[in-house]
Parts: sequence; C-alpha cells; structure tokens
Amino acid sequence: MRRRQFLGSLAAATALAATGCSSSTGTSSSGASTGAGGQTVKLVFRQFDPPTEIAGLTKVVDSWNAANPKIQVKLETLAGASDYAQQFSREANSGSGPDVVQLGFVNVKDLAKPKILLPVSDLAKKSQPETPVDKFLALDMNEFDNKTWALPWTVDTFAMAFNDDVMKASGRQVPTTWEDLRDSAAAISKGGKAAGFVFAAASSAGAGQWFALNYYMWSKGFALVKQDGKAWVPGASTDQLASAMDYFNSLFTSGATPKSFQTVEQFTDPQIVTGVATGTAAMALMPPQTLRQARGTSQKVMTAPVPDGLKDGSSHLGGRSLGINAATKNPEAAWEFVKYLNSAKAFESIPQYPAATTVLKAMEVPAGEEGYQKQLPHSRSFARYINGPVPVPTLQKLSCAAFGAVYSGQKTSAQSAKELVDALAVALKG
Amino acid sequence: MTLAAAPGRSARRRRAATPYVLLAPTVVMLTILFAVPAVYNVWLALHKVTPYDALGEGDYVGVANFESVLANPLTPLSARNTVVWLAFATVALRLVLGLGLAVLLQHSVLRRMRVLGVARTIVLLPWMVPPTVAVAAWKWLLDGRTGLVNKILLQTGAIPEGIPFFADLTWVWPSIVAVFVWRELPFVVISFMAGLQAISAEQYEAASIDGADGWRSFWHITLPNLRPIIAVIGLFITIGAFNNFIYVWLTTGGGPGTFTQVLATQLFTTAFVDNHLGGGAAIGLLMSGFMLVFAAVYLLTVLRRGDD
Repeated sequence: MRRRQFLGSLAAATALAATGCSSSTGTSSSGASTGAGGQTVKLVFRQFDPPTEIAGLTKVVDSWNAANPKIQVKLETLAGASDYAQQFSREANSGSGPDVVQLGFVNVKDLAKPKILLPVSDLAKKSQPETPVDKFLALDMNEFDNKTWALPWTVDTFAMAFNDDVMKASGRQVPTTWEDLRDSAAAISKGGKAAGFVFAAASSAGAGQWFALNYYMWSKGFALVKQDGKAWVPGASTDQLASAMDYFNSLFTSGATPKSFQTVEQFTDPQIVTGVATGTAAMALMPPQTLRQARGTSQKVMTAPVPDGLKDGSSHLGGRSLGINAATKNPEAAWEFVKYLNSAKAFESIPQYPAATTVLKAMEVPAGEEGYQKQLPHSRSFARYINGPVPVPTLQKLSCAAFGAVYSGQKTSAQSAKELVDALAVALKG
Repeated sequence: MTLAAAPGRSARRRRAATPYVLLAPTVVMLTILFAVPAVYNVWLALHKVTPYDALGEGDYVGVANFESVLANPLTPLSARNTVVWLAFATVALRLVLGLGLAVLLQHSVLRRMRVLGVARTIVLLPWMVPPTVAVAAWKWLLDGRTGLVNKILLQTGAIPEGIPFFADLTWVWPSIVAVFVWRELPFVVISFMAGLQAISAEQYEAASIDGADGWRSFWHITLPNLRPIIAVIGLFITIGAFNNFIYVWLTTGGGPGTFTQVLATQLFTTAFVDNHLGGGAAIGLLMSGFMLVFAAVYLLTVLRRGDD
C-alpha cells in the first residue's frame, strides 16, 4: 500500500514536472493559475528589458494588480537573454511558460509558424483594445497566415544623437545626407577633440552597424532582399552593395570614425553612449532608450533625424509586441492585461513610444527626442525582410561580416559584395 | 530439500544482481547525459529543424545538412583557423610555456627567496578569473583608442597611432591566442608541477655525479619522466581548444569580416542565428568525428613510442 502510494506520488510529481508547472509559486501560466469559478487568476508576464529600465512597467503592473484582484499578474524579467524567444518556444512547446510574453517584432513570425502563440486577432473579435487593432503601427510584423499573432506594444527607431556643444564648437550643422555626415564627421575628427561619428562597426553576427547599413541602403533605393513576384531574390546588385561598403569604409579612411570602433559590437557600448554624452564623440545613431542613458549623463545630447531619414522608408520601425502563450489556461484574462498595457493610462508610466496610434498622437514628446518625433512617421518596419524566407539575424550576420571584411582589408568591396550576393542567393534558396 | 534450496537460490540471485543494481544509476545517468543527446544530435543532423519546433518535429533531409556544410565557402577557413590557431598554436604555446613555468616554480631559488607561494599564486591567478571577465579585461587593455597597451605604445613612440588589436588582420589572431593562453595556461602548469614532483631527486643526484649539467638533466631525466603527462595533457587541451567557442566569440565574434571564424562559432551561428539546428548538428558531428580520428592516431602514436 505504502509502495503504491509512493509510486502514485512519483507519477504525479513526474507529470507535474513534465507540464512545467510550478505549483509552489502558483504563478506559472499553464498549470498553476486557478482559472474559472470566481477564483483569482494568476498570470505571468515575462519581459526582457534590464531591471534598471522597468520602474515604469513595474508601476503599471502594480496598478493593474491593485485594480484587478481577480486577475493577478506576476512580472518576470529575463534580462540579458539573447535567445528569449527560443527559450519561450521551448517552454510553450512543452505546455508551460509565461501567459503573456514581450517579444521583439522580428520574433513574432517564428513563433506564429509553429502556432505557439494565440492569435490576438481572434480575441480582438470579441473585445477590441482602447485603440482598435487595425490602428496599431507595425501590424505587418505581427501578421502571418492572415492572422495577427501578437499585439504591437512599443515602437522605436534610431535618430541621430549629437552633442550640441561639440557641434556648435565645430560650426557644423547636423548632417541631412550620408555624404554630408562623412564630410562633417571627418572635419570634426580632424579638430582632434572629438571623433566625428561613431558606430558599432564590429563584424559579429549581432553587430549594431546593421541598422546604419540598412538605413544607408534603403535611402539609396535598395535592400538586401526583395520580393520579385512570388519569389524572393537578392535586393541589390553587386555594384550597389560595393558602393555601400565603400561608403562605410570611407568613414574610417577619411578619419570620420576611429578604426577602433571596428571592435565595438553594441550601439549601447559606453564608448558610444558616454562618448557622445561627454563630448569625445560628436554624433552616433541611437534608439530612444540608449539616448536616455546618454541624456542621463548630459542634457547636451540632442536628436535629429538620421541622414535622409525624412525620406519614407529610409529608417526602420522597430519595437516590441505582446504575445499570448497558446498554452495559457486564461486567454481572456491575458488579453485583458495585454489591452491594459496598450492603454493611454499605462503609457503615462511606461517611458516608450506606444504602437497604438491614438495613444502615440496624444503623447508629449520628451525633451531632446524631437528627432524621433520627426522621423517615426517615415519609418518602415523590417517586414520587407521578415516576410521573406531568410531569418533577419542571418541577413544581419552576412551583411555585418561582409562590410567588416572590407573595413579590415580582408576583402575588396567588389569581392565582398559578390560573396554577399551569392550568400544571399544561397540563403534564399533555403 | 526444495524448501531448503529456495533461500540459497534467492541469495545467489541477489548476489548476482548486486553489480547490476550498483551500476544501474551510472548507466542511467550516462544514458541520459551522453547517449540520448548524442543520438538526438544525429537525428538533428539528418533533419531540417528550427529552434522553435517542438521536440521531434522536423523534415527528414538525409545527408543534405552535411552537404551544405561542406559546400559552405566559410567551412575551409573555419576548419583551418580551428586547427592552426586553436588546436595547434594555443596548445604548443601552453605546453612550452607551461613546462617552462612548472620547472621554474619547482626551482630551489624561489624557495630560498621565500617567494614560491607568491609566484605560484600569480601563475594560478588567471585560472581563477572567469573567461568572460578575462576577455572583457583584455579587450579593454587592447582597445585601439582607450586601451592601456596602446597608450603605453603611443607614449613611448613605438607606434604612430593606436592599433585596434581585435580588428587588425595582423594582430587579431595573436591577440586571441594571447588571451586564450593567458587564461588557460595555469591548468597545464599545475599538471606539469604534479609530474615534476613525482620525479625522484635521486635521478638528478645521480646525473649530477655523472657530470650532467642542468640542460642535460632536463633533456634526459625531466622530459622522459614527464612524457606520459605531456601525452595526456596534450590530448586534453587539444580537444578542448579544438572545440573552444568562447574566446573567439567574445573577442571578435568571428571578425573582422570572417577572418577569425572557427568551427565552433560557425556551429553556433548556423544553429542559433540561422535557426538551422540540423546544420549546426552536422558541424558538431563532423567536429566530433575529426577529433575521434585525431585522438585515436595520437594515442596510437604515443603508445607506440612508449613501447619503444
């Protein structure tokens, strides 16, 4: 009898472990929430921003919990995990994981394909958010198979951050074209007090130069891949790519950018952020969160649109979405919470640009961030890449390595451009 | 008689089963930790799978993953870098420097100067530093603009402008090897020190009486005695270096361009950047196969020399 009880307990414990429940905390979505019958529903919301940047979000979640005693949300932070989407997929595939998950736009399609997200378009048919779903920015990044799989939450882009003191001392205006940027930055660098323009020019797979490369290419009318009828093909000729490589290489050869930035991987690197803030660098491309770090050091950091940034589609519209785990036992409660996070009230405390257009229009732009305000209406999402068959990180890997090969002299621009076109063609074939 | 024999049979059975019962936990653990992942890896290598697919999902593609790895123009460069810089340069340097430092740390002069403990601690220090911290520190030291090394070189007039060590084709591999060897050398030193302590002092005394100088003692006593340790350590660190990912990934990410790509970084980017787990698994299997052949040839050669 005792043995049978033991085996029974063992089986129950194994089953619990297999479903990924964490009954002790009572917070895991798929198993631990109490569900129907008037009991309290417990949801887990997982986000990946650093703990230092989520004071506003924490306040919003606390407000929700205070106002909704029947739907309690636990905020879970997975900071620093670059494979958060893959981790979520592993959990969701086994029937566990958070109920609501923050996702980069680029990840939504990967999670929609295996259907481990719940289509929010189905939930919206029953109950629309404060801003109707079709009025959200970047919806194209969240759609797959005629359904919307996650609700866009925040949007951002890169603006040209500059140190106002350095620019004034140099007597130069913030450049409006890429050629102007190189010439102004080279002149500032020659002054010897500051580097003219700095960017994360490393060759690694996730290097920050990815954004600058694309902004340049898009402003010149080409992209890495494009849809040609039903087929996807390389979106640029060898000559076009070689000219882009030559341009970025000229930033180093002209002295506009110090060569040491060829080892900098992240656009959040202190050499860039602190550099612009303290005036050892004049200009850099920054998204809003990074700019706020710089402005935390010096209010002299201002923004303007990136070169050619007022041309439609010459900069990207990035951001985060909120997805609902297909394995959640409380989809309606999760949807209510997602709707709340997209409300104007929530964005009073969340220091981000909302994807809900009605909320965005009513928002007061923080000081120093005018560049984003001017540029965002002209930004376009990475859907031009995401809808294709090659993962965006692969495009980033191939292009950063190809451009880096030219900076270092490993290859000529013609050789590297040809290899990039060939690699894109191979990747497109799958 | 039947009644009397039954307990005896039972006891014999229990005795016979005892080794199996005792071995069972180990077998189960080995199966879970080694056999299952190995078999799963083979399965992955034969399928088209992304990290987002559920366990067991994927399209069977036969040997297509192996073909695409071998057809990838990056593979020969990665393989050459892996063998030349990781599996040869870092291993040769560690063996030579490790032996030299071990001999130095055993020397009586250090003991007489009462600095033996300090010297050993200094040599072991890098091993106590986590690799990520070591790489971060070296990246700071070797930074082209703000790095200490460049500042010293510039101030002494040795160079006209800062060298971005991890982005310069001439310097990038020596820099990675320097970080690798600095962090991983202590393991080799400790192993050789243990080997040196096992050599009896009488051998050196006898050699000294026969008129052998320090170099001849080293060549005819130290090295032959250390040969088994050199063989084993050599194999261990070669396998470790061949499979190493962290030093290249954290210092250069495979750049500048693709100049420092190695098989481990190619495996990682194929599996987790390109979302092609099958391709990554194929690279892993090819690497394991190569190391298996290397280990077999190496051990056979070493054992044969030992027999001679």
